[in-house]
Amino acid sequence: MRTFLLQWRREMAAAFLSPIAWVLMAFFLAVMGFSFWFMADLLAGEGGGSQAVSELFGSIFFWIAVLVSVPVLTMRLFAEEKRTGTFEVLMTAPISTPAVVLAKFAGALGTYALMWAPTLIYPVLLHGLAASDAPPDLRLVATGYLGALLIGLLFIAIGLLASALTRNQVAAAIASFAVCCLLFMAGFLPYLSRHPWVQRAGSYASPVIHLLDLSRGTIDSGTVAFYVLNTALVLFATVRAVEAGRWR
Amino acid sequence: MIKVSHLTRRFAGVTAVDDISFEVGRGEVVGFLGPNGAGKTTTLRILTGFLPATAGDAWVAGHNVRTDDMAVRRRIGYLPENCPLYPEMRVDEYLGYRAALKGVAARRIRRRVAEVREQCGLDGMGRRLIGQLSKGYRQRVGMADALVHQPPLLILDEPTIGLDPAQIREVRGLIRSLATQHTILLSTHILPEVEMTCQRVLILNRGRMVASNTAGDLQALIAGQGTVALEVEAPEAAVRDALGSVPGVRACTVARGEDGWLAVTLTCAGAADPRPDLFARVVQEGWRLRELRRERHRLEDVFVALIRREDGEAAG
Repeated sequence: MRTFLLQWRREMAAAFLSPIAWVLMAFFLAVMGFSFWFMADLLAGEGGGSQAVSELFGSIFFWIAVLVSVPVLTMRLFAEEKRTGTFEVLMTAPISTPAVVLAKFAGALGTYALMWAPTLIYPVLLHGLAASDAPPDLRLVATGYLGALLIGLLFIAIGLLASALTRNQVAAAIASFAVCCLLFMAGFLPYLSRHPWVQRAGSYASPVIHLLDLSRGTIDSGTVAFYVLNTALVLFATVRAVEAGRWR
Repeated sequence: MIKVSHLTRRFAGVTAVDDISFEVGRGEVVGFLGPNGAGKTTTLRILTGFLPATAGDAWVAGHNVRTDDMAVRRRIGYLPENCPLYPEMRVDEYLGYRAALKGVAARRIRRRVAEVREQCGLDGMGRRLIGQLSKGYRQRVGMADALVHQPPLLILDEPTIGLDPAQIREVRGLIRSLATQHTILLSTHILPEVEMTCQRVLILNRGRMVASNTAGDLQALIAGQGTVALEVEAPEAAVRDALGSVPGVRACTVARGEDGWLAVTLTCAGAADPRPDLFARVVQEGWRLRELRRERHRLEDVFVALIRREDGEAAG
């Protein structure tokens, strides 16, 4: 636990000592800023504030921001350490492999959360902007952020696994981008297929539908379990991948 | 301190380390010598717990590197080849982080960092970014990291590679000064390094242990013959007869230099030292003598001879 916390602090510092996190944050805020603009526009029209919240979390802007920024955020975690050789320095210190994996995961998650933090001002602004008869429901805002967190958990875990499998950061980024995109696109299966079985499986595993539900205020424990369990599974695979990497 | 028993490591069909066994006692400074690709780094990585062995076992301070690797890691100060570091960190920041990671108590970290900084000649560099340091200073940061948790065993993989001659001398001096408090296993392919810093040598070639001895013993090992060189002013045939017949001399070659002096090389049996007899003979003949010296085999000759013998056996 002590080594985990120490390594987590180191990972957070490393993220913000490299320019990547700052560039990413700028990109993320630019995209989300556009999203907010659309939202404000919607509010100016006939829509209420609550519809605007689901626009913030369910829109294509959200997906562009998350699908691009998470792979970039996670690509260096193991790949860079392997390329420069510091992986050997780290893995010969008295810290267990699960502690290293969890610390890197928590570090990326912390960075992801900090990326989202400035957007907290949007609901506040909305509150001021919205016509008094339709203020945005703060519960919807909270569930929307929960959705962003859940999707972040799984995507960051996928990115971490990709980074553990290669010493090439670009390869890691592309691999995790591809897998996350596949997951995202699989979310449209229920709309594409008429086969009931595919529709059911698709809607169960569709991040798009999960997020829409959450931003409308519906918390399904099955959805939460889906993300938490799959994240745990991918993290477990990452621990094994890091250990197996030493066998080659 | 280290016990290695029938250690083997294969990578995808290539045997990097092939059934080696050795021991290193507490307080010893042992050189791990071999050409590039001999399996030195692989062996060190197994000892530090970074790589698992394919077969065989190794113990550090009584802890098995396979089953008790956390205990082993706490007892080793490891400087990997090429000394990888985080370039974006400052020296003190890095050493403090490493000290905490290796279990130095929080209240002692500042003091330990200051101590190793002084020990490794990093005074005044604490605020510098590692990425902006020269190769020599980076190597010192790596050494400071290896020392910061006061490990009983230091494992240094090619500690002087890529340094300039002045830096190499400094690092060797540092290693010698550490020898009083630590057991040290250092790998190198540079022979003088071993002669200068180590009490004992382990020679590895193609993954196999070729020799394990003190530098002196190794010389004796192939010192089946020694050489004496002298320069005299005399007729060639007479020299050949007179000096070739001195007891202990096996063979005699003579070459005439441009200035008329003869350069004589005598091959001698075993530990025999015929120099007094040779001198007496030269005086007796009334020749003039300007050089008489015995050529000792250097570790380099031993190394080349051992490896050639090994490769010859493998080929034959």
